[in-house]
Amino acid sequence: MAGKYPTIKAYVRPDGSVGIRNHVVIIPVDDLSNTAALGAAKLIRGTVAIPHPYGRLQFGRDLNLLFHILSGTGANPNVYGAIVIGIEDNWANKVADGIAKTGKPVYVFGIEGNGDLRTIEMASRKAKELVQEASEVQRTEVDLTGIQFSIKCGESDTTSGLASNPALGYTVDKLVDLGNTVMFGETSELTGGEDIVAGRISDPALRNKFMRIYNEYVSIIESEGVDLLGSQPTEGNIKGGLSTIEEKALGNIQKLGTRPITCVADYLDPVPRNAGLCFVNTSSAAAEAITLFAAKGSVLHFFTTGQGNLVGHPVIPVIKISANPKTIKAMSEHIDVDVSDLLELKVSLTEAGERIFNYALRVMNGRLTAAEVLQHDEFSPIKLYISA
Amino acid sequence: MPRFAIHNREDNVGVAIEDIRAGDEAQGVYIEDRSMGPVIKALEDIPLGHKIALRDIKAGESVIKYGRVIGVATRDIKVGEHVHIHNVKSIKWGNLARR
Repeated sequence: MAGKYPTIKAYVRPDGSVGIRNHVVIIPVDDLSNTAALGAAKLIRGTVAIPHPYGRLQFGRDLNLLFHILSGTGANPNVYGAIVIGIEDNWANKVADGIAKTGKPVYVFGIEGNGDLRTIEMASRKAKELVQEASEVQRTEVDLTGIQFSIKCGESDTTSGLASNPALGYTVDKLVDLGNTVMFGETSELTGGEDIVAGRISDPALRNKFMRIYNEYVSIIESEGVDLLGSQPTEGNIKGGLSTIEEKALGNIQKLGTRPITCVADYLDPVPRNAGLCFVNTSSAAAEAITLFAAKGSVLHFFTTGQGNLVGHPVIPVIKISANPKTIKAMSEHIDVDVSDLLELKVSLTEAGERIFNYALRVMNGRLTAAEVLQHDEFSPIKLYISA
Repeated sequence: MPRFAIHNREDNVGVAIEDIRAGDEAQGVYIEDRSMGPVIKALEDIPLGHKIALRDIKAGESVIKYGRVIGVATRDIKVGEHVHIHNVKSIKWGNLARR
């Protein structure tokens, strides 16, 4: 039955969202709860703990962002159900409430009054039930539409701007045309190409919002009395031939494809499932950006690299794409899709873009990515400022 | 066989798509339609991914790639020379610290 959309075999969640993995996550709300979360994950096969260093004495927008990221990660369509563990019940319940809105099972455990060992036991018993339930959920055939994706590049070099990013741009156009959401970010790394990005946002209010977010980000950097010369481009970028932030940005935006930008999201804004091409305010650090994209609902991340970035995520697969033949040879275990023949002009942009798209279909249907198998489970919430 | 690529016809730099050795007569190619561009004699080694000057660029002149300014030449650059952080700098960043 050939319909309008390609189909994938995926997990349909109670809220109608579509996931491509079926994780049971154990989320610590704060640094103190990492030990219990990791303890339960060690006992129960099929769980994934997501330890992080934050969650104590944060306040205001920074605290809200942490809740947004922790709840969003549990609510991600790739998650079947979640265990939330916190030193205190109040904040743990806040995180759990955000996950429960999606209709999936969530259980909360507070460590105060119990200690680590009793908490680990209680959490492990519930996690065991969740894993067994999850193991019976079947993939079903669904249309490839209304699904959220995200893109970012890292350890970029000029091969990114020449080949891997334009090829990904083709894939992005195709996903957007099918009625999906594709998120991109890297606010400060748009410097030198920010006017091009702004020019692709036709709605004046959204365009103003983008420019406000961009200018605010740059002014925070400058308020420290420095600029990013010395850290942007990075040592790896420079080794790969990138000389300035402008050159890096112009290569970076090649991966945005050609469709209009129809969505602009600040840190705390939700991103709808059929938003099209969507700018999300993020840092340009790979794990921080992917962590925020996943919290906003991305189920699969596309990552182009020149010199070889390793990043993964505990809940969403990350597909690595490279056009640099030296990197592909030296770091072969990390690269999923080789488009070096596009750099060598042996294939067309369409052929390289279709190769990425077809690989993504396999990953959506269950094939594990290099980062998943190599256990690259980076989880890095963005922290906006000091704690109290 | 082309050995460096040119993003835009306005550009004054190309990008090596394989390692180019000093003295090589390297063939360029335009990305947009894959038509052949200029042949440039490399004055220095240009590693894969690094930039080669397509014409003389005077100190203070813009370095153009993607048809856009990616920085400014900090010294005179001869056609065929390696263009990188030793002879080009950002116009966006790099001035603030000296304010």
